[in-house]
Amino acid sequence: MQNLQTMKQKRSIPYTAIVLFIIALVLPILFRRSQYNLILLTTVVMYGVLATSWNIIGGMAGQFDLAAGAYLGLGAFTSGTLLIRWDITPWLGMPAGGLIAIGFAVLIGYPLFRFRVREVWYALSSAALVSVLRVAFLMWEEVGGPTERYIPYHDWSFYHLRFSSYIPFYYIMLILLVIALFINHWLSRRKLGYYLLALGDNEDAAEILGVNAQACKLKALMIYAFIGGMVGGLYACLYGFIHPKFFSNTMSLEVAILGIVGGMGITYGPLLAAAILVSMREFLRASLGGQMQSLYLGIYSFVLIIIVLFKPQGLGALLRDIYSRLNYIFRKESPKP
Amino acid sequence: MIGSQPRPESSQGGVVQAVIQNIINGTMMGCIYALITLGLSLIFGVMNIVNFAHGDFVMISMYFTFWASSLWAIETVATPLITFPFLFLFGILTYYLIIHKTLREKYVIQIAITVGLMTFLRAVAQLLWKASPRAISYSIVQGTFVIGNYTIMMSRFTSAVVSVAVIYLFSLFLNHTWQGRAIRAASDDLDAASLMGISYKWTYALAFGLGTAITAIAGGMLMTFQQVDPTMGLRFGLLSFCILALAGLGTTLGIIISGVIVGIAESLAMGMWDPRASSLVVYMIFILVLWLKPRGLFGRK
Repeated sequence: MQNLQTMKQKRSIPYTAIVLFIIALVLPILFRRSQYNLILLTTVVMYGVLATSWNIIGGMAGQFDLAAGAYLGLGAFTSGTLLIRWDITPWLGMPAGGLIAIGFAVLIGYPLFRFRVREVWYALSSAALVSVLRVAFLMWEEVGGPTERYIPYHDWSFYHLRFSSYIPFYYIMLILLVIALFINHWLSRRKLGYYLLALGDNEDAAEILGVNAQACKLKALMIYAFIGGMVGGLYACLYGFIHPKFFSNTMSLEVAILGIVGGMGITYGPLLAAAILVSMREFLRASLGGQMQSLYLGIYSFVLIIIVLFKPQGLGALLRDIYSRLNYIFRKESPKP
Repeated sequence: MIGSQPRPESSQGGVVQAVIQNIINGTMMGCIYALITLGLSLIFGVMNIVNFAHGDFVMISMYFTFWASSLWAIETVATPLITFPFLFLFGILTYYLIIHKTLREKYVIQIAITVGLMTFLRAVAQLLWKASPRAISYSIVQGTFVIGNYTIMMSRFTSAVVSVAVIYLFSLFLNHTWQGRAIRAASDDLDAASLMGISYKWTYALAFGLGTAITAIAGGMLMTFQQVDPTMGLRFGLLSFCILALAGLGTTLGIIISGVIVGIAESLAMGMWDPRASSLVVYMIFILVLWLKPRGLFGRK
């Protein structure tokens, strides 16, 4: 029901979105003096992209996917290896990584959905997948291995996607974010999007009504994997090395948590959650990390628990409530339920 | 983790001996894994809550054992006497503060809350005990004994025996006491159990508390031969879910058998193939079981 309400309110979003986009364009110019702030911005946007794409499989289709790290790692290794071995530009490497992530998603997702692995078990098997890939790449010495593989240094090369500043990475990540948001928005008005929302609400009921659950979930997983792979390709260039620790359980969990805290099925929710929570975490890490190790993590998870306990619909829903309340105060319109 | 067995020569007999040695080690590890899984199965089976933080409860109880044995000089094998009630209270508190409020929510909210709890416990552990691994300096069960050609570590043997004994005691508790029957009834049919005069709130709290408290015993036993660091929780969590998936819900014997299967598979992979491959094998088993036998090998439901 909530999701239907979101769709009715879509009209009011574009103006806000344009303003926010312009702010996002200007932000790096304001922060250009500090490379730390720039990589912080890029990280926030990256989590935004991952969480927004997670929204397709997790928020809409209701599959609690914990394999974001797997697709990210696959993308990073594809793009990074192509660049290191054969000097192929990441501009080709990123889509290639996305395609490999799709291939892997189909390889894993098809049997999972075919054998009706659901809910908790789907979540756990996708979490196990990340660990399997990490160990596999640790053991696969030709590509992975326990040592970092560094991407060749270039001072400012558009072809190699190596820059001595984080500003270009920020803008490329922003493009990915816009693509992810657009796909989300576009899907929520298409038949597939409605099918996915129905599946997320009640899978059995949706199947009885004639939704091909297996095909729909697989499509959602493919879209999600592709975006994850693309981000992975950029991630490798951003950090300048590839290592099996990119297949990170912690990161996958965090992406899923951002998706939930943002609000399941709300297009802008995960981005909002990423903007607030990731920057809060990094701020806490920067200000407290020196004095007390991991105090930031404690506060961060505490805030997380509080949000999930008291607003299970997520920050997106909270924002919507505030918006309609403000509408009521200023325009004397009746608040939407 | 499993490493201190003598490396036999690479003759034909040596390979067989190494395999058997690994099977012995794996069986002993598997019994402890089964004990951890029992706690998870109690929580998951009764209230259908996926406790991602279960592995981190193991981690926390290992740290408590470390504290009890290094600060108060209590023998490691005896520390569960202190940590068990403590973790029981901790579990009940967690249930009333956090879990109880999410019972009616979707499963994703429950996962989110337990993941938050997991991160919180990890942060607390890092805050209190720092990130470097900790181990106890002395325990009476250290040392090895030899049967035929095979070396058996005293600590692991004791742990396996204690684990099986505790699992047996728990199955007695679940089958022959009023509280235990209440827990089983609540897991079978909550509405009918409520009509029979079972307070579901207390039963859930009891199940959660006991499920958490079991990790105190497992943690104490693990601590006799293993070190602890703040990030090891998720590994135990996934491992116990793997065993639970293999066993299916509602069988105690199934949990022991599955635990031993996983323990042996892990030990063989580590000893015969590559030390890094242990988790690979475990998770491959996990994924294959989910595909082929979603109800587990011994599942009741």
